[in-house]
Amino acid sequence: MPERPQQSAFAKVALVAWREFRHTALTKGFIFGAIAVPVLMFGVFALIPLLLSRESPPLVGTIVVIDPSGAILPRAKAILAEPPSIEDIADELQTMPKDGATNPATSADAMSRLSDLAPQKIEVEWRGESSRETLDAATAQVKTEVRDGLVLAGAVITDAALDPATESKPIELLIPSSLSPKHVRQISRALRRAVEEERIARSGVDAALIERLASVPEPAATRISPKGAEAEEHTEFRLIIPGAFMMLLWISIFTSANYLLTTTIEEKSNKVMEVLLAAVSPMQLLGGKIAGYSLVSLVMLVMYGGLGLAGLSAAAMLDLVPLVHLVYLAIYFVMAYVMVSAMMAAVGSAVSDLREAQSLVTPVMMVLIVPLMLWAPIIDNPNGLLATVTGFIPPAIPFVMILRLTAATEPIPVWQTALSIVWGFACAYGMLWVAARIFRVGVLMQGKPPTPKELIRWAFVK
Amino acid sequence: MSPSASPSSRGALAVRLDHVEKRFGSVQAVKGISLEIPERSLCGFLGPNGAGKSTTIRMIMSIISPDAGRVEVMGANALTMKDRIGYLPEDRGLYRKMKVGEFVGFMARLKGVHSTGLSRRIDDWLERLALPGVSKRRCEELSKGQQQKIQLLASIIHAPDLLILDEPFSGLDPVNGRIVLDLIRAEQARGATIIFSTHQMHTAEALCDKVVLINRGEKVLDASMTELHARHDDRGLLCEPKMDAPAFAHEIVARGIAERAHVRESGAVDLDLAEGTDAADAMRAALEIAPMRSMALRRMNLDDLFVEIVGGADAKGARIDA
Repeated sequence: MPERPQQSAFAKVALVAWREFRHTALTKGFIFGAIAVPVLMFGVFALIPLLLSRESPPLVGTIVVIDPSGAILPRAKAILAEPPSIEDIADELQTMPKDGATNPATSADAMSRLSDLAPQKIEVEWRGESSRETLDAATAQVKTEVRDGLVLAGAVITDAALDPATESKPIELLIPSSLSPKHVRQISRALRRAVEEERIARSGVDAALIERLASVPEPAATRISPKGAEAEEHTEFRLIIPGAFMMLLWISIFTSANYLLTTTIEEKSNKVMEVLLAAVSPMQLLGGKIAGYSLVSLVMLVMYGGLGLAGLSAAAMLDLVPLVHLVYLAIYFVMAYVMVSAMMAAVGSAVSDLREAQSLVTPVMMVLIVPLMLWAPIIDNPNGLLATVTGFIPPAIPFVMILRLTAATEPIPVWQTALSIVWGFACAYGMLWVAARIFRVGVLMQGKPPTPKELIRWAFVK
Repeated sequence: MSPSASPSSRGALAVRLDHVEKRFGSVQAVKGISLEIPERSLCGFLGPNGAGKSTTIRMIMSIISPDAGRVEVMGANALTMKDRIGYLPEDRGLYRKMKVGEFVGFMARLKGVHSTGLSRRIDDWLERLALPGVSKRRCEELSKGQQQKIQLLASIIHAPDLLILDEPFSGLDPVNGRIVLDLIRAEQARGATIIFSTHQMHTAEALCDKVVLINRGEKVLDASMTELHARHDDRGLLCEPKMDAPAFAHEIVARGIAERAHVRESGAVDLDLAEGTDAADAMRAALEIAPMRSMALRRMNLDDLFVEIVGGADAKGARIDA
């Protein structure tokens, strides 16, 4: 029988890898789910201000101001004509209750105030009532007009309201039930600021002077490195960027690892596994699958990471991501991918459906969730005990370390970084070895899923 | 090729198993099987369900390793011979979303077939299997029988030297069964060694030049068809006389041509020839007694042999169990 050349192991691994990549990343589902959806979301966020400005209803109608002093109406009129500045909104948010994180209503209100920044058509006719003698009658009249929808709002501002010493509410605002919360806020803001200006004017102090005295900008912080380099400080980005690095790792790796898990289960349930094993060894199959999905993961990492860097570059803040951070990202990406994909391949080979996989994946996922849960304390103190200890617990090592390294204002000790890399890759190799042993046995097993004890036995069976 | 010749006299072996054993938990699936399958032979693996046929085949394919014993495929470790083997497993499997041409091409490339001209080769094969134009269709769009033929194609597209087919005819209608049968014959004519497991004894009888019967993990029969006929053919004729069957039976025994004659319900008569009687002479003598609708040598039947061996072993097993 004539001899024919045997396909090399590398060629077989490459063929399996390409098939996995091609049938995952070059499909409509992946392109839509992993690429189009984030791009669409990005587009929607970019469009929101535009949509808000289009949607902002015009403020049209008559506002009646019952003000015996006669001073509030002209001031309110002038203030309403000017759109609010972002500082005005920020001031209002400062005065809101501090329970936004736990109270959805407060939170939603705070968000809706940002829409006040959108441009808006205002056509308001002002009517003043300044007779002290007819105050009650005028108030009653305005209430009727408000009830009948003849006017946008009626405001009653008594002399007492202009006195800072009084405890009473300074402004009584009468509004129809149909008036939108945004319009209520706008009218309230104009009247409140008009009363504020009038109070200052009556005290004899120059309002413009007070504004100038009170407006102290944020300190211009400049970070000076040990080598003397100076860089403008962006505190808010220093908190966001480590999280972005970790999420980038998390999303890119777990998306492809999940594909690895589901396709392995599918190949078992479709009975195609035995057909494949007639052509390749279990190790070649596992190698091909891991290599193929690493490309899927890499595509996502480069795509999302590239988008982030492009955004920072456009905002002239690329200096926030030094090159060494990208090197760390590459190193810990490989480590994290090997760990997570080994785990998913082992589980996928051992079970027959996704539901069975959940019970085996959950314990490891608990460890992997640690960096997500401890994100805030880790970046707050990257050299603290919590960050240091969790940075050596597999399989959380790469996720914690990327948080620590990108958040650190003081350098992480070099020995810790080096040890985490050596220890992390040793653990990744160990996980891969165990996964390969389990995979070899698991792919041909059918029936009830193995217990963790049986999985361990598979890993060490001859 | 002389099917009755011993393997050593016929040259190289395609498969050699030497005291191979395999256990799954408490079940001993294969118990020390040894066998030799010569190159270019067509060997049938027979046996009841759960006998250990598929486990033996999987060990030949190096999909699972034996616990003890040695498996050689074409004189080497089976792992290094995967590209020279074609395999159709008992559990059929396809990538459901993959296109037919792509799937067959992928399997061919894994087996070392060069991509040049592969597409054309696949189309030619699809034509030959009466599946023209399905190359661009997804596997899941095909009927079960069509899918089975695609799987068979994936196992032979690389022109293997050894073709192992686990139940290749199950689920096929007679027309497709005939296509597969012709294909197996063509592969053997090309020079491939073929091992196939089946429950269809008449197919095995028609195709095989060697049969291996496995029961309860043990090899209970390993012989060429010629050897089987020599060993089990009794000296007999089966006649359908155009006269009263009992009268014919009485007459032929009276003339000393047959020692015994048995009249079946169908009217056919079984004749056990007398010692020293030539079958051709007996036929001529029978025709002198009565004209015949049909008359043939009574031959060994694999179905009967299977029932005899397996049924006997089961009965023995049952007695032992009791």
